[in-house]
Amino acid sequence: MNDIIIAADGLSKSYDGKPALRNLRLEVPRGSICGFLGRNGAGKTTTLKLLLGMLRRDSGVIRLFGEPVDSEASSIAARRRLGFVSEDKDLYPFMTVEQTIRFTRPFFPGWRRDLEEKYLDLFQLPRKKAVPKLSKGMRTQLMLLLAMARGAELLMMDEPTSGLDPAMTEDVLQILADLAASDGTTIFFSSHQLAEVEQICDRVCIIDKGQVVVDGVLDDLKSDYRRILLVFEGTPPRELAGLPGVDHLRQRGRTASLLAHGDVDALVSRARELGPGSVEVRPVTLKELFLDHVRGE
Amino acid sequence: MLWYKAWLETRWRFVFMLGSILLLWLAPQFLPFFGFRLPPGVPASRAWLGLHLGSILLYIVVANFLAGSGVNSQTTYAATSGFHGSMLFTLSLPVSRRRLLLVRAGLGAFLTGVLVAVMAGYTLFQRPGGASAFDALEYIARAIACTMAVYALSVLLACVLDEMWQFYAATFCWIAFYLLQSRFAVLAWLSPLRGMSLISYPVTALMPWAPVVASLALAGVFLCTSALVLQRKQY
Repeated sequence: MNDIIIAADGLSKSYDGKPALRNLRLEVPRGSICGFLGRNGAGKTTTLKLLLGMLRRDSGVIRLFGEPVDSEASSIAARRRLGFVSEDKDLYPFMTVEQTIRFTRPFFPGWRRDLEEKYLDLFQLPRKKAVPKLSKGMRTQLMLLLAMARGAELLMMDEPTSGLDPAMTEDVLQILADLAASDGTTIFFSSHQLAEVEQICDRVCIIDKGQVVVDGVLDDLKSDYRRILLVFEGTPPRELAGLPGVDHLRQRGRTASLLAHGDVDALVSRARELGPGSVEVRPVTLKELFLDHVRGE
Repeated sequence: MLWYKAWLETRWRFVFMLGSILLLWLAPQFLPFFGFRLPPGVPASRAWLGLHLGSILLYIVVANFLAGSGVNSQTTYAATSGFHGSMLFTLSLPVSRRRLLLVRAGLGAFLTGVLVAVMAGYTLFQRPGGASAFDALEYIARAIACTMAVYALSVLLACVLDEMWQFYAATFCWIAFYLLQSRFAVLAWLSPLRGMSLISYPVTALMPWAPVVASLALAGVFLCTSALVLQRKQY
């Protein structure tokens, strides 16, 4: 059994000559909950669509469940083992909840009636109600039901909680966390909501301008990265930016703020040699990691 | 289960078109109640010809109305967010685009065929002098064959256009073709539109083989092109 569920290497895609993805490399291990973060237009949806075969890549390699996805047949085989929840959560407007389930069920040999019943009851979805009459929250729940009852090994979701109220968001996150814990389902979802990513994800992948800028286990990233605040008597020296391990440098007046990773102690020693008045080392939050990388300072 | 989706997508359209056809047929029966009568001297055959030629328009409307690609969902004549969202859901299912097209286009063609058969049959039934059962069947088959060219063009357009524009574009194409066929004899000879109307069996008592063959060939070309377009299209 392959331990990497999603593997992409050298993935590139342009629209009308404008690059949307540039040499993207991505690995999502089996059983993980991976948050896929990025600003609007960073390439998150494009990546998901490439993985699902909705778009054609310009170059690069995609492997899902350890198998190369290089033809329609291989894409169909992969899609049989995964569930997808699109950002707008729209299903067929000419079907009811029951008809949507009845339509989807036969495509997936591993469909689990017990889960179907469980989530129908849990979400209290009205079986006879037409899809257009469902609220966005209910449509999200129906999409989750369709994705989860098929016994998918991998759930790919594009902004699964967008448009949901806080209570509903919390419920959805809880269900996803339970699913990963109980069935070992791999969950890969894009989001703008850093707090929810921090809440349930064990891995994050931050994408900016079509390239992965941070990828790793969330706890490792948090322990690996540090914020170092240095206050100087005058303008902070330029050499700070060149110190080994410094990812980003922000200057405001006499204060320099470094986002650094690796051997932070060695870095602090080197920084002290530049004569700061005070030095403070702080842990970083996901928000800081995200903002420092996507703002490109 | 793709047929199930296709049926749910098209069933109200089918019922709507069937209802519209019945209404159009029934309306003339009530005209005398409101004082409308054929002017004196107009033969019944002339009135029948009007019915026959008028039903050709309905063939085209039916074909355009029931055509779909299987990827773009069709519900209302407006491109809504639901239109695009359900498209992504369809494409995430483990099924080939060719199969999506085949099932949707197949069911649409079947329903179009049923409606055309009903209309063609009624037209023959109303014809002064009647027609033999064999001739009627043969004419119905040919009317369906000619309509398939119209239908297949609409399927092709459904692969690339939102639903509203698909309908308009298909209508525009056939209006343009109608104008061109009056200028070019070859087009007129092969025209599916003329195959259904002026050179059709009820008018000429001859079976229009050239339009039938041309229509089926055109339908084949349009459907193959649709499959290629859908295969290459990015969503």
